[in-house]
Amino acid sequence: MEKGHGHGNSYGMVIDLDKCTGCGTCMVACAAENNLAVRPDESDKQRSITWMRLYKVTNGKEFPHTEVCYFPRPCMQCDHHTPCVSVCPATATKMDYHTGIVSQIYTRCIGCRYCIAACPYHARTFNWWDAYFPKGKGLERYLSPEVSPRMRGVVEKCTFCHHRLMRAKNNAYAEERRELEEGEYITACTEACPAQAITFGDLKNPEHKVSELVKSRYAFRLLEKLGTEPKVYYLSTKDWVRRMADNYLPGEFKPIAKVKLG
Amino acid sequence: MELNRRNFIKFLVGGAAGIQLTPLPWKLTDDIAIWTQNWPWVPVPPVGEFIHEKSICTLCPGGCGIEVRKVDDRAVKIEGRTDYPVNPGGICPVGMGGLQLQYNESIRFTRPMKRVGPRGSGVFIDISWDEALTMLAGRISGLREKAMPEALAAVDGNPARSTLSLMIERLVKAVGSPNYVRIPCAEDTYEMANFLMQGTLGPMAYDLENADYVLSFGSGLLEGWGAPGRVINAWGLWHENPAKKRVKIVQVESRASSTASKADRWIAAKPGTEAALALGLCHVIIKDGLYDSEFVNECSFGFDDFSSAGGKDRAGFKTMVLKKYSPAKVAEITGVASDDIVSLARDFAGAKAPVAICGKGKGSLSGSLYEFMAVNSLNAITGRINKPGGILVHEPIPLSSLPEIDFDDIASQGLEKPRFDAAGSTKYPFSNSLINNLAAAINRSPESPVDTLLVFAANPVHTLPDGGAFRKALKKIPFIVSFSPFRDETAYMADLILPDHTYLEKTDDIVWPAGLQYPLFGLSLPVLEPVYNTRNAADVILKLAKQIGNSVESAFPWKRFEEVLKERAKGLYSSGAGLVDYDGTNPVWKRLKEGTGPGPDYASFEEMWKKIVSGGLWYRLEHTYKNWDNLFETPSGKFEFFSSKIELAVNAYAEQAGIDWALRDMGLAGKGDDVFMPHYEETASDADRSTFPLMMLPFEIINLTSTWVPNPPFLNKALFDTQLRGDESFVEINPETAAKYNVGQGDRIIIKSPEGEVRVRANLFEGAMPGVLFMPLGFGHSAYDEFSKGKGVNPNDIIHAGKDPLSGYPVWWNTPVKIIKV
Repeated sequence: MEKGHGHGNSYGMVIDLDKCTGCGTCMVACAAENNLAVRPDESDKQRSITWMRLYKVTNGKEFPHTEVCYFPRPCMQCDHHTPCVSVCPATATKMDYHTGIVSQIYTRCIGCRYCIAACPYHARTFNWWDAYFPKGKGLERYLSPEVSPRMRGVVEKCTFCHHRLMRAKNNAYAEERRELEEGEYITACTEACPAQAITFGDLKNPEHKVSELVKSRYAFRLLEKLGTEPKVYYLSTKDWVRRMADNYLPGEFKPIAKVKLG
Repeated sequence: MELNRRNFIKFLVGGAAGIQLTPLPWKLTDDIAIWTQNWPWVPVPPVGEFIHEKSICTLCPGGCGIEVRKVDDRAVKIEGRTDYPVNPGGICPVGMGGLQLQYNESIRFTRPMKRVGPRGSGVFIDISWDEALTMLAGRISGLREKAMPEALAAVDGNPARSTLSLMIERLVKAVGSPNYVRIPCAEDTYEMANFLMQGTLGPMAYDLENADYVLSFGSGLLEGWGAPGRVINAWGLWHENPAKKRVKIVQVESRASSTASKADRWIAAKPGTEAALALGLCHVIIKDGLYDSEFVNECSFGFDDFSSAGGKDRAGFKTMVLKKYSPAKVAEITGVASDDIVSLARDFAGAKAPVAICGKGKGSLSGSLYEFMAVNSLNAITGRINKPGGILVHEPIPLSSLPEIDFDDIASQGLEKPRFDAAGSTKYPFSNSLINNLAAAINRSPESPVDTLLVFAANPVHTLPDGGAFRKALKKIPFIVSFSPFRDETAYMADLILPDHTYLEKTDDIVWPAGLQYPLFGLSLPVLEPVYNTRNAADVILKLAKQIGNSVESAFPWKRFEEVLKERAKGLYSSGAGLVDYDGTNPVWKRLKEGTGPGPDYASFEEMWKKIVSGGLWYRLEHTYKNWDNLFETPSGKFEFFSSKIELAVNAYAEQAGIDWALRDMGLAGKGDDVFMPHYEETASDADRSTFPLMMLPFEIINLTSTWVPNPPFLNKALFDTQLRGDESFVEINPETAAKYNVGQGDRIIIKSPEGEVRVRANLFEGAMPGVLFMPLGFGHSAYDEFSKGKGVNPNDIIHAGKDPLSGYPVWWNTPVKIIKV
């Protein structure tokens, strides 16, 4: 599988939707890890800032045949013609060919929100306000120094916990290693998932579990037809779930014959 | 040069053009960008040394292992521990957001306080710890002087078996009051069912990881049931390899919860009819001869018909089930097709290691006794008791009990008085605590029989049903003391606040995490220095006892809570077994199947204790399976399908005014020998079903706390906008039912029950059973801060909790309602 333009790594994620229970721990872990701002009203989902967001879908069947499935959605870290990167007038976002990670540089961002319009996955959010910390209540004491809190007027998005990559690399360099072992760098959501539904690693490294998982017949990506080559893959044995991932013409979707269980 | 109009314009244009050639505009734009991004109010988190400290999360009785990342003395992140056997690395969203409960002055009490404003207004003034303790000690001593120590009561929501809850009970007893009341939970019902059928007192222990067929009667495996870090991890294990999937999960529930819709099979039984379904499954299994005849014949009592003393012929479980619970009949009661009942029963009995589990939702609400007994019978007839992958029966964990209290005269006299909630009386012989009865007793009498109420780790104003019956009761109690670290609704009703540390600041223990299949003692340690002037409630009890003096003082001979914990741990050492090291490479559930384990990995008590303090745990691998001959401690010494204890208790109560009266008064609709066996009876309701044609069911979700613990604001991000929008919460309603009342998606409706009414919005959801409205628990706080206050409505405001037959516990699943479109 040819990935990316440069050499080096291509970090990616595989999320097993059969394992995902929709508990939302990934969202909370992400918010806590990356100093996400919380406003008193988080129910307006167009204003709510989330890097990892959980979507709930149902098969629409009548009671009692209804099924629910959850899609955790981080930034897809699109590999090809990364839509947000191509439109940013301020070079505030770019894809690193050495890691495959799409960065976001807040101090360069001019808040035009062109990238938000361009992103097909709604993975980017805008700071309409400064981070909300009521005065004198001490809530800001849990902020992590590894990630700078954002100011109003800039766009933010999932960075695959880039600071964790930096941390892992620093540790490796200190031990005079150039390459990271599998599992040495994982995102906060991967680490937090109590169902181990998220697998993270280097898609280019055949020894990493992710590069095996993406070959599964149940693997798919969101809106694959756009050709953005997301580096976030999903797994589901359920046809109706996989059908949700893209807009299919009648007859276009190919169901996978159910494997006989046990 | 003359300054005329022409020259002036030339000058302006020239100037403007000239400036473009200088760096000025670019420098200014840059400066503006930098300036607007450097507001002084954008926090800059201080850097420092990274430190990782391990502990256990005690926000729920699950007790998952956590690692706290600190920057100097500031905690910045909570993560799951991989070297703790309960949860291999994962934790739930509440535990993940725990730091927002730690660092938030709006929701925490920062020092002891006393009330000055009216009750419920939350207006307090600061006082010192000495003043506060003197005030409380004086009050309690006063009660003792007036020879009415029973007027002291405590409401305790700490996990069952924890040392802190023992201390609270001990304090109340030492003072001389029998009125120690616990917040009800599913495990209470489970223990009662076990006590009646097995005679054992060990905790709920399901060997889920080794089972290959899990039939869950409404247990929210994915909603936070048991220890979420463990159960959800098991879920991941079950789905490890889709091609070789070995385990089947079946969920019985009336709503497509995450568990129901993600399970391999969803059985939508009408709420409250689960007992009938379990017995219907027993019917098919017995009729098809699929039951474990070895277990049933050798080790059980009351399965076949028998003659009791005096030669009276009695119908056994088999006869009753075959007669009354045919698939056709059960289909009628439960709404589940009879074909489904038959196939489910055959699947269950045909599996290698099936297990049926109970305890609805997160398990933080009490269940129905007969339903739990019915589920237990299903496990029993298939021989799943004390086998790998089934229900494991244990002795309670071998912690030392605290020394006997030497009661003085006042205390002894007080303890002879009846409990206000009548738990344990002849009417409710098997219940330990009935908090609803306590509220009713207070509301009934002109003057509250409780003079001083201590509230620990509980928020009954918010979490108890019946439209604020408990809040009404609180208004009548002269003096209320809250030990909550949080500014919750119940604390707002208090006269004195003695704030506890948060779970990250104090030493505490988790004795046997909820539902775990092996004994585990977990020690939670202070990973942070207390940020406010708070004190560990257990240490406050020790101080208080000293000030009260007499037998209360002598009942607490310890200086610090840590000494109590260490003393209790001596029992672990003298049990001669157990391990304190765990490295995460070989999961305990895998090793458990063998039933044997290596000897203790410590040589002395001091070494064991040192390791418990550093690693946080003690656990035991040894387990004797299938020891059915000497396992059961019932009157018959066998597993009792026919409970001799119920028979004895009912007959004893009937001595007052006859058996019919006794049954009616104990809330039983069943007749004859049925009441001594698991059976189904329709939950009684005095409401007029023609006025209230629909039902309302509360449900729990994992990303919203519904106990006394506040909801971390991060979790609001994980709520869907079909659950909360602005300040309005949603009720889930089947589109078919909604159409009947002309209700569309997002419409505002009023839900009315005999207890009250709430205003919500409708979320049309196909996964909701027609005719039933589903409301999430956890919304509708009137306390806390802007992140939770006033958001949504609390279903407890309209829940009409009757009494569960025999146990007398509140029933959460039987509220008749009607809807009115706004």
